[in-house]
Amino acid sequence: MSVTLSKLSLRNAQRQARDYLVYFVTIVMAAALLYSFNGLVFSSEVHTLSSGMNQLPMVIVLSSIAVVCIFGWLVSYATGFMLSRRSRELGIYILIGLTNKQVARLFFLENLAVGGGALALGLVLGGLLYQALRAILFAMFGLTYHFSLTLSLRAVGLTLCYFALIYLHALRKSRKRIRKMKIYDLIYFDRQNEGAVIRAGKLRRWMFAASIILGMAGTVFLMAGDLIIGIIGAGCLIAALFGFFLSFASGVPAFFEKCPAQKYQGQTLLIFRSLTAKLSTMGVLMAVISMILTATLLVEGSGLVFNGIFRGRSAESACFDLYIGVGDGRNPAVYVDYINDNIPVERALEYNVYESGSTQIMDYLEGQYYYYSYDQDPALCYSDYTALRALAGYQTVELEPEGYLIHCMPYLERLLNDYDQPLRLGDRTLSPSGMYTEHLSQSYGTANGRGYILVIPDEVAEGLPVHHWAYAARTAQPVPEEQFYDLWEINDRTGSGLASNTIVTRASEEAEVAVQTSLFVFPMFYLALALTMTAATILTIQQLSETERYRRQFVLLRKLGMARQEMERALGRQFTIYYAMPAIPPVLVGVPFIFHLAQLPEPGIMVGMRSPLAIVMIALGLFFLIYAIYILLAYTSLKRNVISA
Amino acid sequence: MLQVQNIEKYYGGKNNVTQALDRVSFDVEAGEFLTIMGASGSGKTTLLNCISTIDTISAGKLLLDGVNIADLSEEELAKFRRERLGFVFQDFNLLDTLTIEENIGLALSLNHQDPGTVQSRVRDIAQKLGITDILPKFPYQVSGGQKQRTAVARAMVAGQSLLLADEPTGALDSKASKNLLEIMTTMNRDMGATILMVTHDAYSASYAKRVLFLKDGRVFNELLRGDRGRSVFYHEILDVLATLGGDVSDVI
Repeated sequence: MSVTLSKLSLRNAQRQARDYLVYFVTIVMAAALLYSFNGLVFSSEVHTLSSGMNQLPMVIVLSSIAVVCIFGWLVSYATGFMLSRRSRELGIYILIGLTNKQVARLFFLENLAVGGGALALGLVLGGLLYQALRAILFAMFGLTYHFSLTLSLRAVGLTLCYFALIYLHALRKSRKRIRKMKIYDLIYFDRQNEGAVIRAGKLRRWMFAASIILGMAGTVFLMAGDLIIGIIGAGCLIAALFGFFLSFASGVPAFFEKCPAQKYQGQTLLIFRSLTAKLSTMGVLMAVISMILTATLLVEGSGLVFNGIFRGRSAESACFDLYIGVGDGRNPAVYVDYINDNIPVERALEYNVYESGSTQIMDYLEGQYYYYSYDQDPALCYSDYTALRALAGYQTVELEPEGYLIHCMPYLERLLNDYDQPLRLGDRTLSPSGMYTEHLSQSYGTANGRGYILVIPDEVAEGLPVHHWAYAARTAQPVPEEQFYDLWEINDRTGSGLASNTIVTRASEEAEVAVQTSLFVFPMFYLALALTMTAATILTIQQLSETERYRRQFVLLRKLGMARQEMERALGRQFTIYYAMPAIPPVLVGVPFIFHLAQLPEPGIMVGMRSPLAIVMIALGLFFLIYAIYILLAYTSLKRNVISA
Repeated sequence: MLQVQNIEKYYGGKNNVTQALDRVSFDVEAGEFLTIMGASGSGKTTLLNCISTIDTISAGKLLLDGVNIADLSEEELAKFRRERLGFVFQDFNLLDTLTIEENIGLALSLNHQDPGTVQSRVRDIAQKLGITDILPKFPYQVSGGQKQRTAVARAMVAGQSLLLADEPTGALDSKASKNLLEIMTTMNRDMGATILMVTHDAYSASYAKRVLFLKDGRVFNELLRGDRGRSVFYHEILDVLATLGGDVSDVI
């Protein structure tokens, strides 16, 4: 008997993988994702990239636990769903003489076979995915990547543990269910579903109207831009979400009862009835999916904002291989001595940043931005500025004899472009002769100004008070992490230890971005991917489980004279509404949230592709890209089986 | 109204050809109630499928009001089906997600009728068929007889000129069958509906004005009811079936 049972399980497992291909592919992807991130946990090579990477294993294990919970819910839901769909078949097994225990074992074995198959494929795919992650990490640290396919047994072991947790939880639940089931319940399970369609009532109709009003109010609150009101708005939207999906199946028919003409317009009748039938049995699930998608968009958006902050801050500071700004009046020679002894330098510049004696620009900008640490407009002399530009690899610019230039960060460009006032410095009056916005290390107090700096003729700068001493260099090699720490140690040892001094190396900035991206952004995208895949898979298996019903419906409609084109249109619209409904609330909540979040960092770093609008667009693009893959898979499958059949 | 001229239908591939219809010819007049009878495999459902344009014919001509169905494109065929033909199937073929009212209204909706008038037209026909009370219900909440009357309502509501019924009483008990056949007779007599019914049940066939018998894809015999009573006609049908052979058990 056991041989027959295992053969039957294997055959059923093959059928399950074929019928629920989207689900199977998701489980394969889940295994691949878990394995590839586990690879990072156990890779000694990754840990040596930077000292900051020591925290990576902990962060990834914590994220993986969250991901295991997410996929655990998916597998548990999908297993339960398949159990319901196949209840008649399982009932027949009991009818022909198998015991509940044997059927439970059969179901257990076949799911184990599916899980095992997915895990095996996932490990292969995960190996490749791990290489992709490695390549990204190496690129972020500026190292050369070499492809080398290796199998980490410890990563395989951890993935196996995660998978065992996911599957054992789901199968324990279904085993319990099968053991309690009676033949009648199994064979006539579909009748229980039908009963749910007619659940209607006044309360639900009221709930439907209230949820629409609440949803509109929530959206208005969110758009108001205030954080507290925004949170209240998000709360309203979540309440509206549950109310809407729970009452949709009663509320919409009630609406059409009042306006029957609307119902018979075009394909409305078919589309709304298919949706109400579906939502009457999966209202709560739709609301949960909508919440998951909201979480996905928020996590993705936050990841992009963090990524923007890290990169934005680094881009400005990493324009020189080595930059030191010393503002506490101590002798800068200690730094220069250390550099001369230890760091091979190709070209270097020691210079002063002056206090211009004017507050003209500061006054002009006042009220617009809050981020300054100078009492007067900072200034550079033209010859130092020219040398700095050469050091950073920018083209030389001209300064008219009685002119001044402004070099600022891009966020001030629009504002300062309009500034055309002459500059009065002592007895000299300089006229504006240009503005430049390349990165020039302008985001610290002891950098080349904060946000902006004036460039004035050398003779005008002579005699001006020095704000701080500065050093910039192009080095033969990227400055190693140890030397960067040595320079900071000198700073701590020799002076007051004021944090106002600046020591930045391009290598340290890039490494910090890479570490922060690995620690914050990677896990966020890892979570977001797991969340989207789970939500889209559940929506898709729910939709594809209706294939046979849709097929029968369209065969009948064809006989009744519905044109193929019209059928395709009806199916397409039904599909669009079904997938759009849970995706609208995430957009309403996510867009204002991400936009607000992207405006929080200090000015000057969220610009260009990191601007709030760009981040919102990229987050939406990423979100809908993965979602669209599932929609496309489901639509082609449904169209092939329903209309073309 | 309908002219079936020497139609033939073949199934299968190169080495395995089955002839389902063999030079079948007959006419259906407007307002007629015609039944096609035959044993399983005699070709009656194939014939109905060809007339209803769901299947294509291999040879011959099918003319409805002078229009050759073979000349129509897929789009035109769809339009033809929804405007001219009404269907009643053995297993009702109602959409289970739609209410009874919506199932009937669907035929009007597909015909792009004015949405404002749909409800009143549905109610009119529902009253004639005695199903007004069940209009807000879903198919699984009503009996088989009521489902079939709903199917008849759907087949007639858009003013279709030919009602095609495939074993309409096949899934009904005797009381519901009688009720449905009486309704169909009334619709034929009082509303001038043209009905073409396929059945292997002699009792159902006896409600028609004319019965065609198919055997092995050919028209084997034809019976006209004339002025005779229904029970006399019923026995005549049984006699013909006895000569057809092999299917007496199907009809008793």
